[in-house]
Amino acid sequence: MTSCWQRQLAKAITKIENMDPQALAEAASLPLDNSSVQIIGVTGPPGGGKSTLCSQLIEALASKHKVAALLVDPSSPFSGGAILGDRIRMQALVSNPNVYIRSLSNRGNAGGVGSSVVSILRAVMSAGFDYIIIETVGAGQSEVKIASIADTTLVVSVPNLGDDIQAVKSGILEIADILVINKADLPGVDSLYIALRESAQKHVDGWTVPLCQTVALEGLGIDALLVEIDNHWQWLQQAGRLLEKRKLAAKFEIMELSRVLLQKHLDKVPADVLARNLNRKDINLLQRLDEVYSELLNLFGEV
Amino acid sequence: MAPIRVLMAKPGLDGHDRGAKVVSRALRDAGMEVIYTGLRQSPEQIVQAAIQEDVDIIGLSCLSGAHNSLFPKVVELLKARGAGEIAVFGGGVIPEADIPGLRAAGIEAVFTPGTSLEEIVTFIRERVSGQ
Repeated sequence: MTSCWQRQLAKAITKIENMDPQALAEAASLPLDNSSVQIIGVTGPPGGGKSTLCSQLIEALASKHKVAALLVDPSSPFSGGAILGDRIRMQALVSNPNVYIRSLSNRGNAGGVGSSVVSILRAVMSAGFDYIIIETVGAGQSEVKIASIADTTLVVSVPNLGDDIQAVKSGILEIADILVINKADLPGVDSLYIALRESAQKHVDGWTVPLCQTVALEGLGIDALLVEIDNHWQWLQQAGRLLEKRKLAAKFEIMELSRVLLQKHLDKVPADVLARNLNRKDINLLQRLDEVYSELLNLFGEV
Repeated sequence: MAPIRVLMAKPGLDGHDRGAKVVSRALRDAGMEVIYTGLRQSPEQIVQAAIQEDVDIIGLSCLSGAHNSLFPKVVELLKARGAGEIAVFGGGVIPEADIPGLRAAGIEAVFTPGTSLEEIVTFIRERVSGQ
């Protein structure tokens, strides 16, 4: 029954997200080199239609394949809580047995996704999906981590976000494997198209970044976009680049896990040092801090 | 500490989601992760989403008067799918006379107009951490 394995997967993801050491170790023992699963990243500005676009892609793919979607929304910088609302655009998919949808908070991390996303990917991959779609938080100009994680990165733009110099700035547009202009029925689409075609389209070792136009709300342009997603997948495999991509993801995972583990030490050590020294009678921290400083140097060493 | 995960859902056909959104914001401000599913959900959709999202608790908001049939259905389906430990609470325009029946059907708390947001936050914290 669908709900049984989905429940197991859902619980595993929660533990990984919460950085449970055992769950992380279990996830780390799962392979990331499965070449029958395509990881598709979708990023772009807030309100650009990413969720609606993802919903259309999932629906089309799920007619023949098993699809998992990880939808990331931002956490509150004040409370750490979050409102995860990407599912609102995906109501029709909830009952589809080929689809698993999971909302994730970025847990305060910059870059568009949380630290544990690749560990989560390993768990999802091992559950036997054909496609995994990752939707990032609404991105500005520098949320580029998704390119290290996904096999195929879609960058979604919409008309009327600014003048044409926006399109030539470095950053998020450069990470696109496929550029998508969504809301292509709005005025301003022609100038955006020209700006992106002139400045953002790249050619990398035989892959030319295609420029697709969609109206996700009405399902327009989705078929053509799916063809490009498949073209990129074929190119990755033929050019022998898929495993390189996955190595990038593993590298991201190592860096993020290190950062999280180090952060725990960083939070703990000053607390310990403070607890030891704050109420000492023999030294006055307001007068001199040199003893504490040498203790810190002893603990951390000089970098 | 792991944040509490809450699914906020609107079963049935009414389109009044101001209450659900106000409660969602309060829970976010209390450090919880709130999955908001939008309007017009069937009990089946709500339970499936709750399982996929691995939530600790489900909040149901209904202003149409259909709470007596829709709320208990969610609890039944959770049990049928092996997810009976996910708690359920409800809110909306619900007559006092209906509350005992809902409680008996497994809706652990029912919050009616005038409830403070703090009361809801406290209920969820105590219910989830007390497991």
